[in-house]
Amino acid sequence: MEPLTRYLSSNVTPGEAGDMLWITIYILIVFAGVSVAVICMNWLERKILAHMQIRLGPMRVGPHGLLQPIADAVKLLIKEDVIPAKADKLMFWFAPLIVVMTAFTLFLVVPFGRTHAVTDMNIGILFMLGASSLSVLGVIIGGWSSNSHYPLLGALRSSAQMVSYEIAMGLAIVAAVLMTSLQTGTGTLSMIGIVESQAAQQTWFAFQFFPLGFIALVIFSIAMVAETNRAPFDLPEAESELVAGFMTEYSGIRWSLFFLAEYASMMAVSSIAVTLWLGGWLRPFPNALGGHAWDVAFSLVPGIAFLGLAAMCLLGAIRMPKVGALRVQTVGLAGFGVVLGLVGLVMLLPGVRERVQDIFWFVAKASIFMYLYIWYRGTFPRYRFDQLMKVGWKVLLPIALAVLILTALVGVRQELYAVFAGVIR
Amino acid sequence: MTLGAVLRKIFMVDILTGMSVTFRHQKQADVITEQYPLERPVIAERYRGQPRLAVDPETGETLCNGCGMCVTACPEKLITVTSERDPETKKKKMTTYTLDLSRCMFCGLCQEACPTDCIELTQDYEMALYSREGMVLSREQLEQGPKPTVYER
Repeated sequence: MEPLTRYLSSNVTPGEAGDMLWITIYILIVFAGVSVAVICMNWLERKILAHMQIRLGPMRVGPHGLLQPIADAVKLLIKEDVIPAKADKLMFWFAPLIVVMTAFTLFLVVPFGRTHAVTDMNIGILFMLGASSLSVLGVIIGGWSSNSHYPLLGALRSSAQMVSYEIAMGLAIVAAVLMTSLQTGTGTLSMIGIVESQAAQQTWFAFQFFPLGFIALVIFSIAMVAETNRAPFDLPEAESELVAGFMTEYSGIRWSLFFLAEYASMMAVSSIAVTLWLGGWLRPFPNALGGHAWDVAFSLVPGIAFLGLAAMCLLGAIRMPKVGALRVQTVGLAGFGVVLGLVGLVMLLPGVRERVQDIFWFVAKASIFMYLYIWYRGTFPRYRFDQLMKVGWKVLLPIALAVLILTALVGVRQELYAVFAGVIR
Repeated sequence: MTLGAVLRKIFMVDILTGMSVTFRHQKQADVITEQYPLERPVIAERYRGQPRLAVDPETGETLCNGCGMCVTACPEKLITVTSERDPETKKKKMTTYTLDLSRCMFCGLCQEACPTDCIELTQDYEMALYSREGMVLSREQLEQGPKPTVYER
């Protein structure tokens, strides 16, 4: 019981407390959570994309194809593991590992709540940027070691794209980091510090110096799509031109590692956007709907959301046709609903809900970005390579620079006014 | 470029319009997918599918009188009929009947030619098989008619 009480009494992350046991537990939880989220995301993407294209998507495996990702995972795991004869075996074997490891390492500093992060680095956002750029290496190695035309072309495109969009992305991030130095005079690069300074300034950075913060968010949310090689910037794996880009020669489990890494890094960059501009784990409307009563009301939302999901599952189980072959599915769906309902009830408990609501709001905000990824993919055609470069260098980069300079000027003006007005901070 | 066009570009009006289109199409009512083996399309009455030989619904005897009109009518020459004369009634009686479905083009000329309305084309369209030999339908198969598989999950 001692570790549990130690954990419950601590109000910093396990990394800050130097608590090895809870660091390990948190790493395992984050790893499992991200993997499960990738599975859910796989299903959601296929369903939502299908509905946008007036199709149904997976329908056969489980109710509404809910078990389809599991079926796919089993298929990928038992597939023959092909390494091309002319490929560089070691590098070919190594590339997916680099991509996966960098994608999961990013989650070390992602703040799911004030106490819900593996650790809090004072250079958190730099660490995120640095580690996420390492995945370019994996992509290049994967494409080059395959010793084949399409993977090489795809890898070159991918590296050019990732490197050039990193600049606009970095400038947008700097604009947000500048905002953390308002009022205090010293900014911070720590992910938790950034969210806390948003709480101290009583505004999310997306609405700070409107529209400057918002423009920075828009630039980041465009650059992050290009950075993770997703549609409409999915040139490295443009099916119609390059088969599957740098992943062409990969199959089975190695391919699924690339897939896992792609979705994990999508989630990582979404959580950067949430942390920097959308107030991280802070609940919405802290100013307009402030006060104790609203705090309690908002802390009930996660439990109610889970109960709503449970009600949907149970309703689905009741509405399932009463056929013998569907019995297992009906029982499974009802059981899933009951589990969700129990989780929802636990989340309504007073002691639990204060700790859990941080995670809920963070994940809810990040899932907006995940939905946007699918939405973009369902809407936009792929850019040509010169258009991609034009958007990156001629549009996003100047706008990001302008936003950065304007943010600095407006911030300095505000601080000077505060000095002249004699505001003590 | 006019001012309006510039503003459209800056506020990404066209991009947002496109996104609203895809968003609105997500509603389930728009889905036009047919879950094929479970849901089946309504087949028109005059659709020409797998042929069958009609039998008298009361006695269960074939309506075929072995005249061979369908054999002459068939442009692909894929029907063979053998018949013998019944010694008692002195009437021609069909003994064997084969129809090679693999070459059939479902023109329906046999159906037109048949004087007793015995051979007819049904609305069944599920004729896939694993062997060519199976496509040659015997008299029994033709009289039983097509038996579409009933699927449930």
